Amino acid sequence: MPAEEIDRHIRIVPSDLLAAGLRPLPSTAGSFFLEEDALWFTPRFPFRDGLDYSVLIDELGGTSTTLSIQRPAAAGAPVTSVVAVYPSSAVVPLNLLRIYVQFSSPMSEGRAERSLQMLRADTRKPLPGVFLRMVHELWDSGRRRLTVLLDPGRIKRGLVPNAEDGYPLSEGVPVVFRVDERFEDSSGRTLTSSFERAYDIGPPLRSKVSPDQWRLDPPNPGSQGPLSVYFDRPMDRGLLAHCLRVETASGERVLGDIAVGDGELSWSFRPHSAWRPGGHRIVVDTKLEDVAGNSIRRVFDRDLDDPDNDPIEARTVSLPFTV
Amino acid sequence: MSDSNVAVGTSRYGLEVGAPGIRSVGPITFGPSGILFVADNVSAAIFAIDTGDSGAAGEVRAIDVEKVDTRLAAYLGCAREDIFIRDMAVHPYSQNVYLSLMRGTGDSATPVIAKIDGDGSVSALDLNNVSFSRTSIPDAPAEDDSRLDGHVVFGNREGEEIKMRDGSSIRIAREPIRTVTVTDMSYVDGTLLVAGASNEEFASTLRRIPFPFNGATESNSLEIFHVSHGKYETASPIRTFIPYAGNTSVLASYTCTPVVHFSLEDIKAGTQLKGRTVAELGSRSTPLDILSYKKDGEEFLLVANSSHPLMKIAASDVDRQESLTQPNEPLGVPRENLPQQGVSKMANLNGSYVLMMQVDSADNVDLHSYSTSML
Repeated sequence: MPAEEIDRHIRIVPSDLLAAGLRPLPSTAGSFFLEEDALWFTPRFPFRDGLDYSVLIDELGGTSTTLSIQRPAAAGAPVTSVVAVYPSSAVVPLNLLRIYVQFSSPMSEGRAERSLQMLRADTRKPLPGVFLRMVHELWDSGRRRLTVLLDPGRIKRGLVPNAEDGYPLSEGVPVVFRVDERFEDSSGRTLTSSFERAYDIGPPLRSKVSPDQWRLDPPNPGSQGPLSVYFDRPMDRGLLAHCLRVETASGERVLGDIAVGDGELSWSFRPHSAWRPGGHRIVVDTKLEDVAGNSIRRVFDRDLDDPDNDPIEARTVSLPFTV
Repeated sequence: MSDSNVAVGTSRYGLEVGAPGIRSVGPITFGPSGILFVADNVSAAIFAIDTGDSGAAGEVRAIDVEKVDTRLAAYLGCAREDIFIRDMAVHPYSQNVYLSLMRGTGDSATPVIAKIDGDGSVSALDLNNVSFSRTSIPDAPAEDDSRLDGHVVFGNREGEEIKMRDGSSIRIAREPIRTVTVTDMSYVDGTLLVAGASNEEFASTLRRIPFPFNGATESNSLEIFHVSHGKYETASPIRTFIPYAGNTSVLASYTCTPVVHFSLEDIKAGTQLKGRTVAELGSRSTPLDILSYKKDGEEFLLVANSSHPLMKIAASDVDRQESLTQPNEPLGVPRENLPQQGVSKMANLNGSYVLMMQVDSADNVDLHSYSTSML
């Protein structure tokens, strides 16, 4: 019979779906063709590893025969691991907003909620409702860095979840952030091991990030030594990578490499060429946040009655220093 | 016959036939002339696609399809667990139902735009040969990001080759670390409104992209703050939103819990505005979708939640609602709980139905239509 008629009499479907009781079950999209003595089926979407498929054949007598084909599961030892978790400090504030998880290789999407937990350190029991559920997870382009938000509804003062359920964390109650090894990478393999980071919980951070509280350690002229900045609180690791830049006093950009210190409490800059003596400045983008989501511009949950919480308009602030 | 029955003129909206290179599908929404906007969060792009669906709606009909996830799995040749439905939209003329979904995850994840006909039959757009145009989701990293965020890659597929001083070479890839993930979109009068969340700063940026796409999106965004109980002002990414009242108003829900109203007139004027908090939805529940519909000439809004019942609010009550200033019950606009269970997505259908995607206790995904007169 011609190939076009074949798919009226032969259908291919994933075997497990036959139990759903749907009649007719749509057949898997693809096309049949005859070559020599064999009937070939090319699926429109690739067959899935580890899945069984049934070939349903209607014979002339009206009976239906089912053959089954198996696609082997993918093999391979785990190769992907957690490279880093931020904040890297031992103590985080009560109103911690965000955690970054850095993986060594690209990861699968859609697995985060079931793979991440915040446990009480003493009982190892998971704390419920700590993380914000996101249908669309927050990954970098390479799918190697995941941004996890703690539930902002529970963190923000004045909201019902904060009033009813309290903060996700409790001051003085240490926790363990756990990444389960069953978190699949993009090839479907698990991680080489689970990863845990312990945190003590300190008081909340509720003020704008204030660069005039920072300490600058300028470099020596003619050297390529580092310029260092020391913060008064742990800063957001992601934003630190690009919110500070170095210029000469006349606005010429100084190129170099950045390093972030332990606990995200410091930032240093090594120029590609020797420092020229004279005036320079660090230009800071005011959207730079601390780990609780306060930025230079505004407090995370700004108290309208507190003038210290008033936001600033400026897009950047400059910190002058002399080499 | 009206414009709706004619295939979309490709040059009219700047569309060209080809392979758009879509890598993932997320939120979708229809624009003018039945053009479908598709957000691709992996490519950090939004595509406008001619679905080629020029069928006339014909008679008004309801759509009820049970186990649509099983049907999709059978058609796509995979398990139910391999189907990740991201969004749902109804073609404004043909009234066919479109679903954006990912088949599988990771390296083998395939983006699919599926079409469900009224009789439950499934098909999928050929995303390799379609009339389309493309715009980047605007959030260009600072010029020095790539210098800082390079990483070593293996193999020959990615990155650029860098020669080391000792004569060896490595490959460095400089993909952007900072991203914006689109959470919802709506087309209003020549502008695509795009809500998204950054993977770094916690901001409430609503982006405005003119269509036809012309590359001019950089500075066309605004921040929407809201005030809790008259005391605390915060920002928040918008999770889902709907224009209503003839596209003069927007109701939006945030990743923290408030439901906020703002005027589209204010959007045209400003780069920063304050939304009026009209309701708080309570703890342990995530708003999933908002829809507006008309019943007896009056407009209503439906809010689907992850844990709370389906909520119905009268648009006139939203307009009347004073900004919430005191933390007491009931919190904001009067609301009615509707009986539909497990509602995750909603769309207007045929003018007189609301189509709902509902998940039952066995995790089956069904599509059901409800007459607006019964809601």
